[in-house]
Amino acid sequence: MRTYVVKRLLIAGVTLLGMSLLLFVLMRLAPGNITDIIFESAGYVDEADRLKLEVELGIDRGRWLGDFVRGELGKSYRYDLPAWEVIKPRLPVTLELAVLAMGFSVLLGVPFGVISAARRGGLIDYVLRVVSLAGLSMPSFWLAMIVILLLVRSMGWIPSMTYVSPFDDLRANLAQFLLPALAVGYRSSALIMRITRSTMLEVLREDYIRTAWAKGQRGRQVVWRHALKNASLPVVTLIGIEFAFLIGGLIVTETVFNLPGVARYLVDAIQFRDYPIVQNLAMLIAVVVVFANLTVDLLYTWLDPRIKYGA
Amino acid sequence: MATVPSIEIAIPETLPRVRGRGPAFWRFVRKNPLGAAGGLLVVLLLGAALFADVLATHNPIRTSSRVLVAPGADFWLGTDNLGRDLWSRVVYGSRISLTVGLASTLLGALVGGLIGLVSGYVGGWTDLVAQRLMDIMQALPILVLALVLAAALGPSLTNTVIAISVVIAPRAARVVRASVLAIREFVYVESARALGVSHARVALRHILPNTFGPFIVLVTAQLGGAILAEAALSFLGLGVPEPYPSWGRMLSIAAAEYAQKAPWLVIYPGLAISLAVFGTNLLGDALRDTLDPRLRGS
Amino acid sequence: MTRPRPFLPLLPLTAVLVMLLAVAPATGQGPGTPKHGGVLTASPLSATPSLSPHEESTIATVQQASPCFNNLVYFDPTKRQESADTLIPELAEKWSWQDGNRTLVFQLRRDVKWHDGKPFTAQDVKYTFDVVRGAPDAKAKLKVNPRKLWYENVEAIEAPDAATVVFRLKHPQPSLLLMLASGYSPVYPAHVPLAEFKNRCVGTGPFKLKENKPGELVEYVRNPDYFVKGRPYLDGIKFVVIRDRSTQIAALQSGQLDAAGSGWNKTNAENAKGGAGKLVIVEADSNVNDNVLVNFKRAPFTDVRVRRAINLALDRKAYLVGPRQGAATFGGALLPKPAGVWGLPASEVATLPGMGDPAKQKAEARKLLAEAGFGPGKPLTITVSTRALAIYVDTASWMVDQLQQIGVEATLEQIETGVWHPKMTRLEYQVALNLTGTGIDDPDAQLFENYRCGSQRNFSGYCSETIDRLMVEQSQTLDPKKRLALVNEIDRRLQADGARPILGWAKQYYVHWPYVKGWAVHDNSIYNVSRRQDVWLDR
Repeated sequence: MRTYVVKRLLIAGVTLLGMSLLLFVLMRLAPGNITDIIFESAGYVDEADRLKLEVELGIDRGRWLGDFVRGELGKSYRYDLPAWEVIKPRLPVTLELAVLAMGFSVLLGVPFGVISAARRGGLIDYVLRVVSLAGLSMPSFWLAMIVILLLVRSMGWIPSMTYVSPFDDLRANLAQFLLPALAVGYRSSALIMRITRSTMLEVLREDYIRTAWAKGQRGRQVVWRHALKNASLPVVTLIGIEFAFLIGGLIVTETVFNLPGVARYLVDAIQFRDYPIVQNLAMLIAVVVVFANLTVDLLYTWLDPRIKYGA
Repeated sequence: MATVPSIEIAIPETLPRVRGRGPAFWRFVRKNPLGAAGGLLVVLLLGAALFADVLATHNPIRTSSRVLVAPGADFWLGTDNLGRDLWSRVVYGSRISLTVGLASTLLGALVGGLIGLVSGYVGGWTDLVAQRLMDIMQALPILVLALVLAAALGPSLTNTVIAISVVIAPRAARVVRASVLAIREFVYVESARALGVSHARVALRHILPNTFGPFIVLVTAQLGGAILAEAALSFLGLGVPEPYPSWGRMLSIAAAEYAQKAPWLVIYPGLAISLAVFGTNLLGDALRDTLDPRLRGS
Repeated sequence: MTRPRPFLPLLPLTAVLVMLLAVAPATGQGPGTPKHGGVLTASPLSATPSLSPHEESTIATVQQASPCFNNLVYFDPTKRQESADTLIPELAEKWSWQDGNRTLVFQLRRDVKWHDGKPFTAQDVKYTFDVVRGAPDAKAKLKVNPRKLWYENVEAIEAPDAATVVFRLKHPQPSLLLMLASGYSPVYPAHVPLAEFKNRCVGTGPFKLKENKPGELVEYVRNPDYFVKGRPYLDGIKFVVIRDRSTQIAALQSGQLDAAGSGWNKTNAENAKGGAGKLVIVEADSNVNDNVLVNFKRAPFTDVRVRRAINLALDRKAYLVGPRQGAATFGGALLPKPAGVWGLPASEVATLPGMGDPAKQKAEARKLLAEAGFGPGKPLTITVSTRALAIYVDTASWMVDQLQQIGVEATLEQIETGVWHPKMTRLEYQVALNLTGTGIDDPDAQLFENYRCGSQRNFSGYCSETIDRLMVEQSQTLDPKKRLALVNEIDRRLQADGARPILGWAKQYYVHWPYVKGWAVHDNSIYNVSRRQDVWLDR
């Protein structure tokens, strides 16, 4: 087991390194760099001055490899502030949104999946399956737009556009995050529902369930006690992987609901060729994803001894 | 993206033979009413794309003075802020979504599938390196990687296809590799090798055809995701540029400016995306149920 | 005997009062005594890359940095048309032209302090403008300097004492005074390093910077030591960045915003009011125009017939209805009257290419193209480039359609923000759709920036020695009537050459709640009203 963990950690490390190199190269392939952006907002281009600025900022051609080795956790090019200082206030926003969205997705997905499996083939099953699939099919930004449209039309109200910290005013904060979290969570809940359902169905066919049934225990108790416990494994797996799915939804949702989080900031940073920010943020996301996967894999392996981990 | 996460797909002991048409088709429809409905939606999508010239009522890029007209007899779904007919734009938009979706899915699946085939068959160091490469690409969420790629390459139709296919390739590689690993152990493959059949021939004639089932499942599963990815990229400004009428981009401009005055600009393109993806997902689910016995009964 | 009519004299008075009351809501300045207090929340056009107006060229910076600074002179916020006659003192109390109009002398106030408590002196003025004009002995150097050419006529700046500053010019230049009044010409403190201005602000202005979250929020608090007693009325201003326009509208309607901090287009303004009837809309012209860049250095656009054909094909009336939704005015290179001071008369504007009967003009365009060797067998292919922003793309899409209607195979190319100006500067395009806003409604600024040979923002590569000579001549002409005649002559020639066809001058719509008073709006510039020291909240 220990060698497995070490091996996975090593692999995770290599993966992250490789990913950062990939990003590094890709960003520099993009035409234009921060000096172009700086001159861009000044409305003109003076090539001589721009080249001088490139050297000053340290992004002229010759030095980029050195930058990579140094890890470039340096300054945001665009705002001339330490990268971490710009990212730090945005992290709690995205974190809160992600956690709330995950919460909704589990709260909605698991019960629906169980009900759907228990009533397999019935009307409820079909309805739930259609509803959840609809959630997966809708672009999350579209859902968010429709929601805001309806809100404004019917109630003349939209959630606050200025971020309110939960420590300052919990009610206002929750009011602000409720809808975006639902918009993101709805999509994830669809995925969880599907997996819960199919895993439940598989477990329900297991011999020992049939035996328990034959022994006369009440149908419902069987379902809830045995099946749920055993179906929880893949669901846990999925929740771990969910983070990766979530981030795409977070990007667009933060844009539509005007939440100052890291996901939206990443899009801005790419557009403004703010390499250090893109590197840092992408690394952050990748670290979260990779370690979520790792944790889930280990959990999976630990919980279910039937699965061998030699792969 | 609407994809089944990485559960190992088992290859049955006896490989499923493709039955003839007629009765099997209707059996499929009866057994999978949802899948059939999905199939219908996909057919509609294809139809819209193929017969756009006939179905559209106006030139989708022709501007006019009838701006922001509500849906009515003249303009079935209304017009946008440049006086362009929304119905025609939605119809032609199906071409974009389908083209980008299919092209990127097929490209990604083929390239990824090839990598998976070689990696799974050859094993050893090749496998290790290829796997790590795939891991690296999957370490980033889909949209993030596509964003960076699109920014690096520039907003164009081709680059959007490339960006999305790069995201799909690792998933395809994983699926194909898994099935290759399973099949590799079959006795008849070993005997073919013992008889002196070359590696390439073994790979192409014996192993590859048996990965078709999972491959098709993968393609249909990823197609919806590819369409959504294109929509998201265009929404963020980095996808398919003008004058191509992309559903995603129609939403971004509409959302930014006219959502309240002309809600039809938001409703219909988004509805189109949702229905297209819904259809492919339903169909994909049904196909998976049919072709993959282990998950049958879900 | 006729009875005396005591009330008669009151009639004109009442009439005037009624007129005033009718006009007042339109200017957003209601009657009543200003109340002190309250924080105004507005959403600017976009996030600003920095708080340093001297290093930026976007209205977003001016909107969010102006409350912090002062100029030597400023344009009167209450007079909608800016001109040499509406200049008011700010840091300078008095000024005069001397020495054959080649020297500009300012007498400065002595009671002004910077936000960090240090006294303001003439040295700060000398420092600022030496830096901006790139003087060899300037104490600092700007990394980017978009308006260096505004001050190229300044030979030297002297500060003989703490309250006097002297600008010595090479030639007379009446426009210099207006340039100093622009929102882009605040006075910086000599004792604060330039790099600080990226994210901080030390000025003399009515508001002090309270908080700056780059990309999200800029918040100001009242400056209690402001040299104008009794101002500002507000306790603070908050600029909240909302990227999505429809979200901005919703935020305004629901009261989270007091004012849209930037001008909107007509549809959005009507949209906003439709959902919240009490909102006030103020319509204004602006000196922002949509223009077409044709690459003068690339075939076949070197052929004047091709250039003219393109110009003729773009039906200006359709442009007004489509991309502009009825909110624009037509004109030449300078903002047309009555909003602008220097524009061509309307009768002349009506004869410019693109203004006439569209069918006839398109037919004429086809003929010209045929003469130049293009036709159905050999169509002209054009890639129309534009910035990847909604307002650009919409107009460019319309352009593509218009060109296709004269048989040109036109397609659209969207260029990402970061590479737009470099591409334009290096002339890496065929035809482009561009938006230009100039700091002040002034021929020196407008012409030198955009039409002079070799100017950095002369993106079409247009060059005419005659025009250059005329430009210099008008810059030094003191008599306003003579100068106007010269400027119109230049404008006429520019239009005949097709130097930079103007599609139209945009109108802007400012929306705010009725309790917001004193929200100034100008008709011939959007850049010079953002001081906001006269804004008050009536609640």
